Amino acid sequence: MEETTFWYEFKKGFIIENPLMVLMVGLCSSLAISNRLENGIFMGISLTFVLVMSNIIIAAIRRWIPDQIRIPIFIIVIASFVTIVDLALKAYFPPVYDRLGVWIPLIVVNCIVLARAEGYAYKATVKNALADGLGMGAGYTCVLLIMGFIRELLGTGKLVLFDVTILKIAPPYNPPAIFILFPGAFLTFACLMALLNRYKARKVEQ
Amino acid sequence: MNEAYRYFLIFLGALLIYNILLIRFIALCPLIGVSTQVETSIGMAMSVLFVMTMATTASWVAWNYILEPLGVGEFLYIPVFILIIASLVQFTEMFIKKVSPPLYRAMGIYLPLITTNCAVLAAATESVKPGFLKLNIPYNFSLPEALIYTIGVALGFGLVLIIFACIRERLETSPIPHSFKGAPIAFIIAALLSLAFMGFANLLGL
Repeated sequence: MEETTFWYEFKKGFIIENPLMVLMVGLCSSLAISNRLENGIFMGISLTFVLVMSNIIIAAIRRWIPDQIRIPIFIIVIASFVTIVDLALKAYFPPVYDRLGVWIPLIVVNCIVLARAEGYAYKATVKNALADGLGMGAGYTCVLLIMGFIRELLGTGKLVLFDVTILKIAPPYNPPAIFILFPGAFLTFACLMALLNRYKARKVEQ
Repeated sequence: MNEAYRYFLIFLGALLIYNILLIRFIALCPLIGVSTQVETSIGMAMSVLFVMTMATTASWVAWNYILEPLGVGEFLYIPVFILIIASLVQFTEMFIKKVSPPLYRAMGIYLPLITTNCAVLAAATESVKPGFLKLNIPYNFSLPEALIYTIGVALGFGLVLIIFACIRERLETSPIPHSFKGAPIAFIIAALLSLAFMGFANLLGL
């Protein structure tokens, strides 16, 4: 029984309540940095780390948090983990840190993290909070990777991961740069959502 | 570069060339969530302008007179800035409620939302802490320059929010393919607007 609930909590974040496609929170960062697959990987890992750690800590100390000042406490917990990510990226991956820039400190106000702390971890056991954090993080990362994949492949004609080209479209294809630029993010996301809507509508019909 | 011209460049850069919503994707949640009516958009834009200006002033003072002299800015800027913003919003809400009930009715409901508005934290971080600003201007912001930058960002936010709301009001009566109803069509419009704003790129060498 324990195992199934853990799996259920994980799956819930990943599919049923996918933070980006279904709940539509935390959109800003996902659109801004998804112009490269590599950015998506780093941002996904950073956010998942913050989400999991803050979920665990908040679930662990929830009995001692006074109700009236819970939001500032959540924010302090989240801000400490964001600082860890900020300094770690700056020290070990300076080029990535340059590209992600202000988005790392902005994880503090990323709605996903605070929403999970307030809406879930504050009332859950440590184990479920861990599963929830992992699931939500995985859901976020997954959408980010799909967007990064589409935008980088269509926009530059190839995929580059850690300085290695892993996929290339044949030369007659002339990559439209719009996909790696700003409007491309909106277009890609709109099309993904429309596809999802269509899929859902089909399912209801059946 | 003469002083007035530098101010002008900072302002224009923040307002149009690096527009916070359409070019940088910061604070998309209110763009999609609040911008269904022109009236609410104006209220939101005014509140953001108000809070952002105060938040940047407070963050600038904290950074230059407390964090930097003590040499702890690198580790503590995230929690300090977010706490400044959160308490400032709370304080502003109480103050307005007491002093001017009409103003509170106009702005009140947006104030709590603004704490988690990434734009406020982003503007404060960029104009106060070196290393995040993307404008092509040498960074050493004095307080007036930081304020000009922030006001530019806030007005850019308001401008786009209001344009967007006008378009969306018209959309309600137009025929839209079923799958694109709601959020997807809003993203398509954002893509087109973003394309228009990209026309400002490289203006005046920014």
